[in-house]
Amino acid sequence: MSILEYNGGAMIAMAGKDCVGIASDTRLGIQAMTVACDFQKTFQINSNTFVGLAGLASDVQTVSEVLKFRHDLYELREGRKMTPRVFSNVLSNLLYEKRFGPYFVEPIVAGLDAKTGKPFLSGMDLIGAPVFTDDYVVSGTCTANLHGMCETLYRPDMEVEELFETLAQALLAGVDRDALSGWGGVVHIITKDGVISRELKGRQD
Amino acid sequence: HQHKHTYTTNIKADTIIHSMSYLQVQRSLQNTNGATALPIHNTESNGINSNKHTISVNYDKSTDEQTLSDDNNNHIIDHGVTQNPYERGFSPYEFNGGTVLAISGKDYAVVAADTRLSSGYEILSRNVTKLHQLTNTTVLASAGCKTDVDQLRSVLDIRMQMYEHDNRKNMSTPSVAQMLGNTLYYKRFFPYYAFNVLGGVDHEGKGAVYSYDAIGSFERTPFSAAGSGQSFLIPLMDNVISHKNRCDEENRVDLQSDEVVEIVKDAFVTAGERDIYTGDAVQIMVITKDGVTEHVYRLKAD
Repeated sequence: MSILEYNGGAMIAMAGKDCVGIASDTRLGIQAMTVACDFQKTFQINSNTFVGLAGLASDVQTVSEVLKFRHDLYELREGRKMTPRVFSNVLSNLLYEKRFGPYFVEPIVAGLDAKTGKPFLSGMDLIGAPVFTDDYVVSGTCTANLHGMCETLYRPDMEVEELFETLAQALLAGVDRDALSGWGGVVHIITKDGVISRELKGRQD
Repeated sequence: HQHKHTYTTNIKADTIIHSMSYLQVQRSLQNTNGATALPIHNTESNGINSNKHTISVNYDKSTDEQTLSDDNNNHIIDHGVTQNPYERGFSPYEFNGGTVLAISGKDYAVVAADTRLSSGYEILSRNVTKLHQLTNTTVLASAGCKTDVDQLRSVLDIRMQMYEHDNRKNMSTPSVAQMLGNTLYYKRFFPYYAFNVLGGVDHEGKGAVYSYDAIGSFERTPFSAAGSGQSFLIPLMDNVISHKNRCDEENRVDLQSDEVVEIVKDAFVTAGERDIYTGDAVQIMVITKDGVTEHVYRLKAD
């Protein structure tokens, strides 16, 4: 079994009209055994950027802490907010620093550019190779399922409530066909007025 | 005496050869078993080195770990293939790509498959069918290894003819389903590399879809997908056909066959986008108790 599939997980980030959403499941497992159903995999970095980390749980927690540290130090030194694109680069460099002994995480970054209000999405592999899209990114153990759902359900310029429904349906349908993901979900929608977070009621198996 | 060519080679200090024919030089070089380079014309020979027509390459034997040699102490380069055991790979199976999908409705079934045949990263054909009509009310869709699929179809056709001869009636869809399961299990220990989905209408006129694994385990399901794009399609069908994780039960109506055909087209567009083995065109068959109608739609050819 691959190390990236040891704990399980599923993550989607999707862009809407002047808003961006990120959704993840909340299962923590040790191979086949489920250990927790409230494990946090999406982390708020600042008021307009979220990062979602799928992969080995230990590295999920370590990377999120190192990332928060680097972000806070940047804001202290520069005296200004870090834009999502810069944040994605910081994460990419952090992962590549460990090129020959990597962190086993495959992150996705979702943010709203503070000045332009435009959504920003990026996904990365475990050594930091980024991909920038304008529709959606997925990560985790059931990427094929999530790609199928998102590719079909996505439409450009969705409003906040529509984006929430799309993310929720795509995530729930995707994780229900994967044994290692599920056991609840959480969705965050970032708008210029703030972040709306909701928990999803899904199959607990 | 006349000499046609003069080659000076740097094999060993005591074997400088003059006045040999080309063939003799070749043979003497081959005797070294690659210990030096073949003669290369040095076009930059100046006045001092004008008699040196070769560029020599030194083969340092002392750094070589496992040097083999024949009786003349000529070292043989082995590349690890003559003295050490190594595994030759041959697999009787090959995956020829593609995705198949079948959805059952109240009085119809829709069976669809893409038409691409591939091998590795190459496309062998853009127009090969994965659907096979067995009776007037049953269609078999198979993805996997094409030769196994073709053979399986031949075997099924023959067994169906025998059934029709023995029983003087056409096979109903549940009977075909059972026969396919049995046929696959006959080859339990050298299976058909075929991932099947059977769609049709049963003897009551209701839509029926059966999904199979490679060795004949089967089950009647509301819908099924198989092949390289199955992971993209199954969660979508869960959501749209079975209405899973949805709270709008009051709006739910039975889907008509033309609505399902539209959903299937969307599904194959999605699979064609994200799966490299799926594309070119999708062939959709709609089966009712009155017979089978077919549509073909183009997909992206990339």
